[in-house]
Amino acid sequence: MTSSNNERHSRGIGVFLCQCGERIAPMLDLSRLKSLLDNSSSIDFVTILPFPCMTPGLTVIKEAVAQKGLDRIVVAGCESRVMLKKFERELYEEGLEQGQIDMVNLRDHVAGVFQGRPEELADKAAKLIKASVAGLTALKTSPKVKVGIKGPVMIVGGGAATYSAAQELLRQEIDTLIAVASDDIEDEIRMLHESYPGERDYHDRLREIMREVDESPYVKKISEGEPEKVLGRFGDYSVAFSSQNGGAPRVYQCGAVIAALDGEMLNQGSDFGHDGVRVVCHTEMEEQLWVHGVPEGRVVFWINDLESDQPWAQLSARTAWNLARYIRERTVRVRVSILYNTKMPLPLSAMERTQAGDLEIDWISYDSKIRPTVQAGYITYTRPVDQIEVELAWDKLVLSPRRSPGHEAVRLGKLLGLSVNGHQFLEKGRPLVRPEQVGQDEKFLAGSARRPCDLRDTLRQGRRVAKKVMELIETSQSGGLYAPRIVCTVDRSKCIGCGLCREICECGGIEPVEGPGGNIPREVDPMVCTGGGTCAAACPYHALSLQNNTTEQREARVSELVQCLAEDEVMGFGCNWGGGAAADHAGLKHLAYNPRFYLLPVGCIGQLDPIVMGRAFRDGANGLLVIGCPPEQCHHSYGLDHAWSRVNLVKKLLSLCGIERERIALAHADLNNPEQYVVTVESFMAMMDRLGPIERTDQVKEKLRGAYDTLRNSRVRWVLGAGLRRPYEQTYPADQRHALAFDETLSDVVAEEFIRSRVMALLRESGQVMDLEGITRVLEESNKQVVLNSLKELAQEGLISRIFKDRTPFYAMR
Amino acid sequence: MNEKAKNKEVINFTINGRSVQAERGWTVLDTARQYGFHIPTLCYHEAVSPSGACRLCVVEAREGKWSKVVISCMYPPYEGVEILTDSPRVQNVRRWILELLLAECPASKEIRELAAEYGVNSTRFEIKDPNEQCMLCGLCVRVCDEIVGVRALSFGSRGTSKKVTTPYMVPSEACVACGCCVAVCPTGAMKSRLDQVRGDLAERIGHAHG
Repeated sequence: MTSSNNERHSRGIGVFLCQCGERIAPMLDLSRLKSLLDNSSSIDFVTILPFPCMTPGLTVIKEAVAQKGLDRIVVAGCESRVMLKKFERELYEEGLEQGQIDMVNLRDHVAGVFQGRPEELADKAAKLIKASVAGLTALKTSPKVKVGIKGPVMIVGGGAATYSAAQELLRQEIDTLIAVASDDIEDEIRMLHESYPGERDYHDRLREIMREVDESPYVKKISEGEPEKVLGRFGDYSVAFSSQNGGAPRVYQCGAVIAALDGEMLNQGSDFGHDGVRVVCHTEMEEQLWVHGVPEGRVVFWINDLESDQPWAQLSARTAWNLARYIRERTVRVRVSILYNTKMPLPLSAMERTQAGDLEIDWISYDSKIRPTVQAGYITYTRPVDQIEVELAWDKLVLSPRRSPGHEAVRLGKLLGLSVNGHQFLEKGRPLVRPEQVGQDEKFLAGSARRPCDLRDTLRQGRRVAKKVMELIETSQSGGLYAPRIVCTVDRSKCIGCGLCREICECGGIEPVEGPGGNIPREVDPMVCTGGGTCAAACPYHALSLQNNTTEQREARVSELVQCLAEDEVMGFGCNWGGGAAADHAGLKHLAYNPRFYLLPVGCIGQLDPIVMGRAFRDGANGLLVIGCPPEQCHHSYGLDHAWSRVNLVKKLLSLCGIERERIALAHADLNNPEQYVVTVESFMAMMDRLGPIERTDQVKEKLRGAYDTLRNSRVRWVLGAGLRRPYEQTYPADQRHALAFDETLSDVVAEEFIRSRVMALLRESGQVMDLEGITRVLEESNKQVVLNSLKELAQEGLISRIFKDRTPFYAMR
Repeated sequence: MNEKAKNKEVINFTINGRSVQAERGWTVLDTARQYGFHIPTLCYHEAVSPSGACRLCVVEAREGKWSKVVISCMYPPYEGVEILTDSPRVQNVRRWILELLLAECPASKEIRELAAEYGVNSTRFEIKDPNEQCMLCGLCVRVCDEIVGVRALSFGSRGTSKKVTTPYMVPSEACVACGCCVAVCPTGAMKSRLDQVRGDLAERIGHAHG
């Protein structure tokens, strides 16, 4: 285990104990704690500080790190959610990075919640800190990965935002490839009303932008074919465009992809009387104005969005207003009225109201209780003032369009890995993940397919995403763009390309190295990965790991803690967002609870590999409480559901070991409800007290070792993986989690592999040649047939050798 | 002391008569806490930059006969200044501040307890809202910006109707529901407001896919 990051030729772990004014020190005997830690061989430096987080304390930490050559430290003080970032920022210069600083919450997990003697609390704190140190000792720091952006920026989708984004980029002299529908600017402008009707006043400005883009040497146009495939990772993409005459696709390399996607306007159905001639929608109206000019008679615009379940009434009202103005400015012979629901606020400025009066455009509101009815030549509605049904005559009735992102935009969105759910607008559906990622979506999106908006807003969005891209390019050019530290990585020598991780990944960061699939190793795009880590905990072949925060570290931590624990003490895991946060808040509110409960932190409960749970029981834990977020509120989307499946698996193994299944449990905690968290812990502790410690006979120990090996087994992990909730599943469908048949299959597989693991371990550890009788006797297994079957299989697979003596088969490790 | 520390600029002054040493960049509060002097604070949190909103951490800075009351969380000490953390003048100012806070957020248990410690049990100022818990120190806003980095929380409205809220006063899409604001809130006001900020998580996280 050598550190791969050997720029600093030092290794050492320092522990900084915080007095936190009077919030830790008098309740907890810090000098006793210090002497307990001083004896530990794995800790190189311990000191007590009044406030490690304030300038004087940080000065001491920095000096100690430099002088003692510490490359990882534990700050034992308060909650990491609030304080860790400050330590990471302050100590970055000293060479300590994310993952190399750990925090143990003495204030809220020890001093604030337990009324014991200060020495007892010091003992408890020592165990938690030693566990944290063990986790840090197992840390293999990953090398820093610099991320570059290679090649030009590509803007696909052909939306109006293409031009504003390209203009922004060309002014910074950045090479840009734009995919457009037509080479001719006027063609593009003519098609614009399909997505943005009633915005003709804006066309001149857009035309200027288009000209500038057209004439720029930095912009290259792709006007043929559609994007078919996007490969690569952050900073280095290749986009394949289809050929029109069926030839090979043309591939373009680019460093960043911007999607400029315009939504579609669909016509209203016949339930509003739409016929495309006399009853039309905005787009059709604009087309008629262009082709045939201003119509005769009375024109009525009906803002019917609320009636057709479209929440975009304001936008439609703006369009209607623009078209109405256009008509009245050209001829006063036509009477124009705009009919709108009283529920909807009028989107007009004071000046525009005056203008409406001058132009004699009537804004007529109708009562929302009764839907207006379209009739021959008239539309009836209820007047809100006097509740009288009135009629309004029309020669041309203009309805609001139905807005949709459009099939092409949805297709392209999927291609670019934007989270696309059905035919929703593309902005929706960002998973709630680690804060640093907010606003850092790596694929950039602008236009009315993102959310309905007008042309001005679309162009503004284009400029904005272009600016974001430029910021990234600048950071990468100055050499300051690094991949996040805690993300998944694939060990390609172990990966068999099964694709399980990709199926359960919620962030879309896992991609095949090349090609569309098959047995090709995967790789992780570190700029997309959210560090949830449930994929790593699911990998059947242990190829995927969450770097700087690995399963090995959690195993080491658990192992260290359970070895320190007394028989009546119980450990648990709390996730950063649910269980751990609730425990922090319980401490802040000084809610007292059972001091024999020890909580270890974990980023997401889904990071918890079943191996870690098995390790806890193998090494001496009598119970394990796994506390995550409330149901359906997992911050990494499905980590909680995956934890459920894993706990279920461990329960199966516990009963195979002859141990009570309830010794492991999954619980839910809301960070804002610490009282509930206390009830959860007390209830679990009461149950553990009833159960008492596990009677660890040699047989039980052997079985627990077997259970641990079983949890590492690829076949078991594969079958478990098949039942994990996928991101596209609403809730568990009946054929997965709730399916009895699946669960029974899983039980059978686990039982088989449990025997196999134990037989293997026995032969390996004893080093003897044994027959069936001997093996079943030592394993105390009543069902000989099961043992025989697994021996046969193991021999056939060549994992053990079989020798015949007097026609009796004997088995030994190869 | 090592070589590096020796070369540092050291400022000698006194706190409550005891001579102390600070380095350049330390505030009075930094130094006081380093030497174990207790100064009460509300809007100060180690994780974020100080803002001096609550004024509770006032101390008296004295130089001969001249003295003035300053906030310790932002005041840089200088050579020879005498700092008094608990002088009658400081206590008087603190009581006034607590009385004002009692009128501002009478529903806050934390504030009532703190005021009681200083013998302030009632207020002579007008109580606008007897159910108000928030004292508008903005610590939650600073944490959400500086630590979490999402700016889901901000101040809304102006003047006497100013309040801590989300943009447009609807549950914020930017909120990651980390609970940092609840953890740092000195008056307990954020606990009851968190649900308005984060909204319905199950829906926001997108488990209502499709």
